[in-house]
Amino acid sequence: MPSLRINGTDHAFPGDTLPATVAELLNALEIDHATVVAEVDGQIVERTRFGETPIREGQSIELVRFVGGG
Amino acid sequence: MRPVFFELQQATVGIAGLGGLGSNVAVALTRLGPGRLVVVDFDCVEADNLNRQQYFLDQVGMHKVDAMLENLRRIRPDVEVVAHKVRLDPGNIPAVFADCDVVAECFDRSDQKQMLVETLLSRLARTVVVSVSGLAGYGRSNAIQTRRISPRHILVGDGVSGIGPGVPLTAARVGIAAHHQANAVIEVLLEQWSPD
Repeated sequence: MPSLRINGTDHAFPGDTLPATVAELLNALEIDHATVVAEVDGQIVERTRFGETPIREGQSIELVRFVGGG
Repeated sequence: MRPVFFELQQATVGIAGLGGLGSNVAVALTRLGPGRLVVVDFDCVEADNLNRQQYFLDQVGMHKVDAMLENLRRIRPDVEVVAHKVRLDPGNIPAVFADCDVVAECFDRSDQKQMLVETLLSRLARTVVVSVSGLAGYGRSNAIQTRRISPRHILVGDGVSGIGPGVPLTAARVGIAAHHQANAVIEVLLEQWSPD
């Protein structure tokens, strides 16, 4: 089963299909695109590029979700 | 007043937003001693802010940047502050914080936090960002943590406690998060500092 390292934890995807892009990954995890900062292998991915940024097996991904309050 | 850390006198720290987080970060850092602060907020002090923000009743109606400058100078008359009364957006963020070694993200809304952190990390090459997610409510002090996400991004908070019905922002818990933030800023600056 293909897996990604997300926020330090290995995350397996059933059915041999990895999400193809950052946008698909966020959809699969039901994360609101407007409130998440994504880093793939230490590189920031801008929100406008979520849909065109490919995901590959073995990558390390940080998804920082912001909730309101400050 | 003698600063706590002479090593920090060359440092510049940005504070984006002067609400519950930013006003507490600004006061703590002024006492600790970075050379220069860049503070940004477009809002005015409201009576409702006084339950957690570092302003006084007679400052209601003032711009937060003006009120904060007044308060910081009462603590340390020689504090060097660059104040901007602007609404931050991806167009002006890189210029406003260009000289900052570290920027504290002190916004309220989740989408604005996202916008600020993404812009700082993608447009500025060396600035470290200390952001906050999850500080609403009361109690659960030890759930608020400081975590290094990547070399230039440090995240404070419990990650889940957003503001909502029955989950207010309170002085004590906001203060805990703000002081985690100020503490992380100092840690980053002292790690970066070199005697030459």
